[in-house]
Amino acid sequence: MSTTPEFREHRYVLNMGPQHPSTHGVLRVILEMEGEYVMDPQPVLGYGHRMHEKMAESRSWPGFLPNAARMDYLASLIYNHGYVGVVERLAGIEATPRAEYIRVITSELNRLQSHLLWLGVLVLDLGAFTPIMYTFEDREKILDILEDVTGSRLTYCYMRVGGVVRDIDDKFIERTREYIKWQRSRMPMYDKLVTGNIIFRKRVEGIGEFTPDLARRYGLTGPVLRGTGVAYDIRRAEPYSVYPDFDFEIPTETGGDCLAAYLVRVREIEQSLRILEQALDRLPEGPFLAKVPKKIKLPAGDATYAVESPRGELVYHLTADGSEVPYRMKIRVPSFSNLSILPEVCRGMLLSDLCACMGSLDLVIPEIDR
Amino acid sequence: MESRDSVIAALQSLPAQVREVDFRQRGYHLEVWLEPERLRPFAELLRGGDFYLSFVSGLHVKPALEVSYQFANHAFACRILARVIVDAEHSLPTISDIFQGADWHERETKDFFGVVFRGHPNLKPLLLAEDMEDLKPLLKKDERLKDRAAVTRAEADVAEKTPAPAGGEEGA
Amino acid sequence: MTDSFLPPELLRILFAAICAIVVVFGNALVMGYLERKFAGRFQRRPGPMEVGWQGLLQLAVDGVKLVGKQLVIPRQADKVLYRIAPIVSFAPAVLPLLVIPFSPKLQGRDFDIGLIFILAVVAINVLAILIAGWGSNNKYSLLGAMRSVAQNVAYEIPMLLTLLSVILVTNTFSLKGIVAAQEGLWFILVMPVAFLIFFVATVAETNRAPFDLPEAESELTAGFMTEFSGMGFSLFFMAEYTYMFIACSLTVILFLGGWHGPPLPYAEYTSALWFFLKVYFLLIVMIWIRWTFPRVRFDQLLNFCWKYLVPFSLVHLLVTAVVLKI
Repeated sequence: MSTTPEFREHRYVLNMGPQHPSTHGVLRVILEMEGEYVMDPQPVLGYGHRMHEKMAESRSWPGFLPNAARMDYLASLIYNHGYVGVVERLAGIEATPRAEYIRVITSELNRLQSHLLWLGVLVLDLGAFTPIMYTFEDREKILDILEDVTGSRLTYCYMRVGGVVRDIDDKFIERTREYIKWQRSRMPMYDKLVTGNIIFRKRVEGIGEFTPDLARRYGLTGPVLRGTGVAYDIRRAEPYSVYPDFDFEIPTETGGDCLAAYLVRVREIEQSLRILEQALDRLPEGPFLAKVPKKIKLPAGDATYAVESPRGELVYHLTADGSEVPYRMKIRVPSFSNLSILPEVCRGMLLSDLCACMGSLDLVIPEIDR
Repeated sequence: MESRDSVIAALQSLPAQVREVDFRQRGYHLEVWLEPERLRPFAELLRGGDFYLSFVSGLHVKPALEVSYQFANHAFACRILARVIVDAEHSLPTISDIFQGADWHERETKDFFGVVFRGHPNLKPLLLAEDMEDLKPLLKKDERLKDRAAVTRAEADVAEKTPAPAGGEEGA
Repeated sequence: MTDSFLPPELLRILFAAICAIVVVFGNALVMGYLERKFAGRFQRRPGPMEVGWQGLLQLAVDGVKLVGKQLVIPRQADKVLYRIAPIVSFAPAVLPLLVIPFSPKLQGRDFDIGLIFILAVVAINVLAILIAGWGSNNKYSLLGAMRSVAQNVAYEIPMLLTLLSVILVTNTFSLKGIVAAQEGLWFILVMPVAFLIFFVATVAETNRAPFDLPEAESELTAGFMTEFSGMGFSLFFMAEYTYMFIACSLTVILFLGGWHGPPLPYAEYTSALWFFLKVYFLLIVMIWIRWTFPRVRFDQLLNFCWKYLVPFSLVHLLVTAVVLKI
């Protein structure tokens, strides 16, 4: 064991994971328990570690894109977006306006499907089996739309330095509009089935005391941070791509508990739909890929590109030495910092609440392990 | 600290070498070069200024390994990249007691680069297996190791805000 | 089983026992199928469709699979306890069926204390779960088992208290007598509150969602069943469905008028149809609840019992007693 908990009387160690229904992947948490109370949860990472940062150092600039898609399998396009963003920023390449719009549209679709999956999985963690089937029905529509244009359903490799690899057509636009209508019609059902459910509310209300100060100490970002009342979203705070063109809100709640994080995410679904609508309305004509040399060489120097993933702040920090491969790539993933609060926030919780808490952090373990 | 200018002023009085850089080209607003012994006062200053730690990362260059810390702020756009060069023992003071989130980031940097963070409570492998403590996968082999100058941007766009304080590292 | 052809007592009981076992297996098959089909409907999918027409044979195939599986005994487990636990859970599940009156004539044995007999026998299940949890030598199993004991002991109290209200009215513990007393007026109309409390308590007693804490899949992997496979698992599985059947039968007997319904030819036997219809209606309600609600937390579960159900059933008992006295 990599952590040797200090044994106290009446305490025992419960090993949760790496295979456990509610750790969603290969997370292992060593719990020091007292009865059903978790006295000291210690996450153990690295079961899915692939050393993407090392792989980057032996790959050409565009060659890393498939890797970028495989860290967070629920936000591949947003990882794509961050990666092409940092390369473009360092190289001084500008993507075409149409490409930027397409990137935003596909990224938001990606965010929606991630949020929908989370919604189902959170409620599944709390013991209700049915909502995940409904959210998968919605999610399937997004995956079908994205499959048509990107060619894959989960690990997209759609964006390129200077643009995207394929243009979107009228059919895509039409289907996305239909999807927006469909998703809006579904939200009242989720309100009744989940948000209004007394058992659900009792399970998440007051669970996890997230505060803005705790968030700052641990680098907590994303919906959980916004659930503490801080309206911090990279799309607003450090606008990238064409996000400044759109009118959308940053939903916040003040509860600082799992319910607040839940409500923020549900409201973000509506905001993403709004961005989608506006982007489809204003989609400019023109090329979808800028003229970029086949072999890209980046000038020496470093650059950072931060994007808002469904889980929080995703940062690519790139150092180039003027050659065809990156010299050093650092990827800051949101779940890494978000999970690190677990030992502090979940101390003294019931085991069931720990599951609720981990569910509302919306962890994606391959992203943490990289 | 309510604005970027007040942050710059506070950092300069630390003292630290601060430069405002072009966000559109770099993705961060302030680049800071620190002496290792100023790292903790620097972190405490940012903690008092309600910053959060985004990440800790390493960069293996000649002549010495460099560790960078990125901070950002919820209230106003100010992303700070602080660079510190490790001392002769490959070590730096920990900031994990100031920013608790640094705990894992420092363990990760120890995994990948072998940087020892003095005072860290639990500097065990985080992402690598326990028996891989000596692997240090991101350290470069000699033939690929570059000089610091080779990975430094040829600057024309940035106005140096302050003269380097006495003993400060050469930044650009 | 009519007066003219009364087999010797021993043969009669043997026959009833065989019938009871058939009911157990038949019920497990039907319930397994219903559960999957209804779960499918609630989740906008068809449910099992591949084996047989509309997937009717799915459960039979699953049964063959479970029987064919190797019984894995964990090395650290207490082998004796681990092996007897499923049997201890399953065997008592058969006994209550001997005293349940499906129709005026379809009853294994009419005990004067039939009700007490059922409650006593069913309570053994708690022991089985505790044995399973302890014998598995797995912390998740043990947590599930401990939850189960606390939960079952707690919910037995409101259950018994509401039962007492019914007993006060009928003046008998005989199940046949209780059903006979409801000719014309079902007790659900007289005591709707008691019915609700009793039904909620039975859902909890049978460890069904939203009170499925001993299994609590997302927290305890599978609770006390974590280490069981093959036949061990299927015995628990069948026992669970049988206990549900018994619980719903009791509810029907106590509150929904048992076999009473519109007249049928040969009503002494065929009115069992009404009984089964009512029981399966309640079972489907249980399925419906399971696939709709999230699981409650452990402290909420106990709070709900001790702070709401127990006081309410006590008050109900008091009111019943006073009303009867007047």
